[in-house]
Amino acid sequence: MATEVKPLVEVDEPNTLDDMFDYSRPPKVVYDATIYEEINGEVVKFDPQEALKRDLVVTDTTFRDGQQARPPYTVEQQVKLFDMMAKLGGPNGVIRQTEFFLYTANDRRALDDCRALGHKFPEVTSWIRADKGDFRLVKEAEVHETGLLTPSSDYHIFYKLKKDRKKAFDDYIEIVDAAWEAGIRPRVHLEDVTRADIDGFVKPYVGELVRRSEQVAPDMHVKIRLCDTMGFGVPSPGVALPRSIPKLVHTMTHELGLPHECLEWHGHNDFHKVHINGATAWMYGCNAVNTTLFGFGERTGNPPLEGALIEYISLHGDLCGIDTMMIQEMADYMRSIGVDIAPNYPFIGRDFNTTRAGIHAGGLRSDERIYNIFDTTTLFGRPPRVSITDKSGVDGVALWVNNFLGLEGDDKLSKIKVHKVARWVMDQYEVHSRMSAITDDELAEQVKINLPDYYARKAG
Amino acid sequence: MNRDDVKARVYKVIAQVLKIEESQIDEANSFTADLGAESVQSVELMAGFEEEFDIEMDEDEALEVQNVGGAIDFIGRYLD
Repeated sequence: MATEVKPLVEVDEPNTLDDMFDYSRPPKVVYDATIYEEINGEVVKFDPQEALKRDLVVTDTTFRDGQQARPPYTVEQQVKLFDMMAKLGGPNGVIRQTEFFLYTANDRRALDDCRALGHKFPEVTSWIRADKGDFRLVKEAEVHETGLLTPSSDYHIFYKLKKDRKKAFDDYIEIVDAAWEAGIRPRVHLEDVTRADIDGFVKPYVGELVRRSEQVAPDMHVKIRLCDTMGFGVPSPGVALPRSIPKLVHTMTHELGLPHECLEWHGHNDFHKVHINGATAWMYGCNAVNTTLFGFGERTGNPPLEGALIEYISLHGDLCGIDTMMIQEMADYMRSIGVDIAPNYPFIGRDFNTTRAGIHAGGLRSDERIYNIFDTTTLFGRPPRVSITDKSGVDGVALWVNNFLGLEGDDKLSKIKVHKVARWVMDQYEVHSRMSAITDDELAEQVKINLPDYYARKAG
Repeated sequence: MNRDDVKARVYKVIAQVLKIEESQIDEANSFTADLGAESVQSVELMAGFEEEFDIEMDEDEALEVQNVGGAIDFIGRYLD
């Protein structure tokens, strides 16, 4: 059969797909179909629109998992970051909770000082080992909910805990019962769940937790955190358990009857899937995705908090109260306390919206939407930039000069007007064999020399 | 100014910017393929023509001119 070739549709105005690519915010993820997954031989439907109606939230573990990957934050640093996190997440509590250690005096002072700021969100929560003696710490800290480490794979049960499944099961149930007796809501962390025997251990264990939850008040129902400890989780349909995120989540919500609001995803980035795995967990039934600021966490890190928030905006098509400018403030603060951020790191790296290619600079010069992801000037205070090298071309130089001089629209200088600056740049490489990028100070000096009237106007 | 005058001054600018002899230039020459003009030199040529003829050219239209003869005609239109 011959392939039918669709006729070209000419238009008077460009179709910029504004329903998806409203430049004023991160591009909207538009779902226009149902998601299907085959589970236990049955075709199961997941409705994205239903998912978006749920109370999706971001939770944070910057001060727990995040601190396991770096030297400890001082109390003052934690309080500062907590305060900024509250502004970032906004009044709707998109950043719903953040998690603290309780083991040292500094841990407890940080929690107290953060709570003393009086923010409604993020709520403070804690994390302890599965040790009954540790509930005293939770009670003394007057924290309503705590995470409990309960490894779920045989790797951990047999090789780390030196137990068998029955012993682990009994010990875990005992610790959860002890949490309830202490008046504390248990959040059970199923460590290494993406490498666990789902039928042989996870289902019996979580099933028992759900059954026991029915005996306590709703605000004490057990929460389950699905911990993809080694980053083995896979987001795409058709993958076998225990690595399939769709199947793991569906098992929890449908087979075991766990409410969406009691289910949280905690990922690691060992296979570069950390962000998409979190976003996938949201869509398939986890209401919470656990994150850390800029992804700092054990080994390769956790889902980046700021990435989850941009995803949240993209899914909802609305800022939902999130103050995106805080992302840059938090990055600046992290740099000020000695944290390195890779130049190409999305949203905050020095070069995240910087182009070096002349042809891209040409596009930016015509219309910044061509090579900028969204209005980063308004949302981040970070206009798109060009970094000038021998690859930048006259387009790149013209863009840099116009940005530097603050010229817009018809006032912009043409490539012809900046040709002497462009020649100076090329000579650095062709004549003087330069190997590094041209600095802003050097370019400013060239503007002063070659475009003195414009420079004086800017200075004046 | 007649076309020959324009041509002579265009050849002078091309020779200066590309650092070649005027005898090497032909109206049919492509600036890039035959005369070897690189990106910055293309813009320098335009700047040179503007200065030589005291005109201000439309940048986008000027960049579409591919060969020497085309440049002579293009500049001629500004002088008419």
